[in-house]
Amino acid sequence: MTPPGTGATTLQHEPSGRTDPDAVDATLAASGDAHAFERLYRGHLNRVASLVRRMMGDDDADDVIQDVFVRAWQKLGTFRGEAAFGTWLHRLAVNVILGRRETVGIRRKRHVEGDAVLALVPGRRATPEISMDFETAVERLPDGARQVFVLHDVEGYRHEEIARMLGLATGTSKSQLHRARMALRQHLER
Amino acid sequence: MSDLWTDRLSEYLDGELPDDERTELEMHLRHCVSCGAVLADLKRIVARAQGLEDRGPERDLWPAIAARIGAAPRREVRRWSFSLPQLAAAGIALMALSGGAAWLLHPAAMLPLASRPLAPVSAPQPTGQPLDGLRQGDSQAVLAVARQPRGSAAGYDAAVADLERVLEAGRGRLDTTTVRVIERNLATIDRALAQAQRAVAADSANLYLNSHLAETMRQKLELLRQAAALVSSVS
Repeated sequence: MTPPGTGATTLQHEPSGRTDPDAVDATLAASGDAHAFERLYRGHLNRVASLVRRMMGDDDADDVIQDVFVRAWQKLGTFRGEAAFGTWLHRLAVNVILGRRETVGIRRKRHVEGDAVLALVPGRRATPEISMDFETAVERLPDGARQVFVLHDVEGYRHEEIARMLGLATGTSKSQLHRARMALRQHLER
Repeated sequence: MSDLWTDRLSEYLDGELPDDERTELEMHLRHCVSCGAVLADLKRIVARAQGLEDRGPERDLWPAIAARIGAAPRREVRRWSFSLPQLAAAGIALMALSGGAAWLLHPAAMLPLASRPLAPVSAPQPTGQPLDGLRQGDSQAVLAVARQPRGSAAGYDAAVADLERVLEAGRGRLDTTTVRVIERNLATIDRALAQAQRAVAADSANLYLNSHLAETMRQKLELLRQAAALVSSVS
């Protein structure tokens, strides 16, 4: 096993003065400790997996999740502990996802512009299982609208950041978000 | 259903409209029921998006990731736990060990004892203190420990502190039952330690009390070592 980095992480201290366990594990993992990295993997898996699934759909999700963690292992030496490990990993995950975006997007030919976005989301009346329905509706949005919606409304990124990440104009990010929301509204209304 | 302002509702909701447009839209919303309904729905959509729950993949991806990063397959981790009878037995045994049998053992060389000067071995012993089983060699050993410099206390405290830090950092890897057992046993030992220290402070020449204090301190160190080893074994 090749140690992934220099292990130069600065340990994070929580407000209580205790050391952040993630930062400790990141330091250990950066020095080649795969068990520490597995703890990080298990601690952050659900969030990364959900991000991947929402951004890309189910089809390639497992492959991309693996890619995210393999990339994280390779890049651990660049984690300086200036932000929480989860924040660092999340940003890295977005980059990996976006790197896969074009390939997957071209293959699926799911980029749809304009009002056609609305027709792609099948409607259903709200049910007690609305949460899963909503999740499904998000996954069925066309790629562009879905990525902006997930990054903005689910993950909390600002339009300026999204535009930079996706290579869009800020106005395009805003209009994609509105389209996505309106599509989801139709879905919930019917 | 849709008008000039409908497409601006998301920007309004996100607080991204310029002030003049926001004012104008708010005036429009006072009489446009349709836009008001859309805005309410958009709020629901955003709230729902923020409330989505995360879930992991359906299969464990770690083996594939471990293979890709060159990590050895993870051995099966043994989760340490004890049955209730075992817990009870452990607690009783611990208390018994911290009691009268302590003087039968050789005290650890690093352990400090009373801070006050010790009386000679031949000093009168308090009644009821069974020293019959304490051999002369043991008595000398206890005195030797008792006369160690105070620096040993610092070494003991540092060792205890180090082990406590290891235990604290790794407690999340132990199951809750094991953690409870360790905490309970540590509390028992700490109570015994406090009693022994008070007793030695009152009668520093008492060989039994000194050896009991030394043994109790050794037990605490040993328990912490075992707990730290447990943490290491599951990490």
